[in-house]
Amino acid sequence: MLQSLSVVLERNTRLDGTFTTEPYEVAWAREARWFVRVLDMEGVDACLEAVTQISPDGLHWCDLNDEGIRLSDRGLATLPAREFGGWLRLKGSVTGNAAMAKVMVYLVLKS
Amino acid sequence: MPAVHQATVTAPSHFAPRHGDFRLSRFNPLDRILAYDDFNSGTHGWVELLGNYDGQSNLDTVDDHMRDFRPPQLSSCSFFDVGTHGAMSGTYALKVATRPEAGHTAVAIRRLTMAGRGRVQFETFFTFKAEAASEENDAAAQAGGGQWDGNTHPSETQFGAFTIATDICDTVRYHCVARYLNTDLGNHLQRQWVYPSVPEPTPREHLEGKANLDRLADFTAPNPEDWHPFGDAQELCYNEVPTKVNWHYLRWQIDTATRSNVELQVNDRIYDMREIPVPPYDEPYGSLGNLLNFYVSARTHTNVRNFLFLDSVLISVDW
Repeated sequence: MLQSLSVVLERNTRLDGTFTTEPYEVAWAREARWFVRVLDMEGVDACLEAVTQISPDGLHWCDLNDEGIRLSDRGLATLPAREFGGWLRLKGSVTGNAAMAKVMVYLVLKS
Repeated sequence: MPAVHQATVTAPSHFAPRHGDFRLSRFNPLDRILAYDDFNSGTHGWVELLGNYDGQSNLDTVDDHMRDFRPPQLSSCSFFDVGTHGAMSGTYALKVATRPEAGHTAVAIRRLTMAGRGRVQFETFFTFKAEAASEENDAAAQAGGGQWDGNTHPSETQFGAFTIATDICDTVRYHCVARYLNTDLGNHLQRQWVYPSVPEPTPREHLEGKANLDRLADFTAPNPEDWHPFGDAQELCYNEVPTKVNWHYLRWQIDTATRSNVELQVNDRIYDMREIPVPPYDEPYGSLGNLLNFYVSARTHTNVRNFLFLDSVLISVDW
């Protein structure tokens, strides 16, 4: 039987401006999927965007690819990742006038 | 100033190999093994501790100091300088990692119940590290850092504390707790085992207005004056830099028949813990029949991520 693991990297967290999630080790996993759930969004023209970042060491980071998620209202978005090496995080921003997004960020991993 | 407990320090007893299985022969289990957690095959039930929430699943009702204990990771112990260090056995260890924020605590918990009363023993091979410095994390400029003297690395004084603990209820609820206080809150090396003299604040106490703790409060015992030393200071093998991993043996025994600590062995030291108090809650708790939880935590005293790594865990009992 293969392994799987779901973790919650942000829990009812209020995001504004730019953000990164904490580094998470995933060397054992072959595939990953982000779920970003926006519980509340405030501000004018508010929008949350994020991309997957990878790292060789948990210290230095680059984007995995051009794929990303975009949410401008409450809801759930998802983003897959493969061939990512040993570490994953999300890098993103909440833009808009006095904008804030309250989020849950899940990472689901499978070997 | 609280009294210092001078625990008896004796040489470790000789344990004859009790298991033909080489994976278990490095442990000294009691008669019945409840759990053997080899993190090459998953997290084995170790999960992030989270405070309780209301009937609408509204996580805003979780206590501020119990809502961000971070999910444990299956770590290959990989570092910027050498790549994958690996675990003591195989590739993966369980990693408990704080945020890079002074006062942040990361907690992983394992949930069991008791089928009897008597001795309960938690064994692990562990190590602890502060995150190596980088341009992004700016660890070198954070409190506890300093000059490298060619031997001791400033990273060592950027690791705060790690804790092993239980949450037990047999009609009376109580916690047995042991913490390695590597540095004090001023980032000065202490290398001292300590215990709390008060029970852990609970969500119900918050709901009843008896406790309301800050997001970064030390949830096991928030007041530093409630932590007391036992035994002599013990230098562990940090091994100079933040990217070398040396595994330490830890064996901690309690007695659920007497609701007491018994002893703590860490490498070549055995601390007699029988006289170290285990404060019970004054009031009864429901829904916790035969509760037997173990948790481990890492707590940083500076704006640098702190990591506690467990290669493997073995929990055994004599019932």
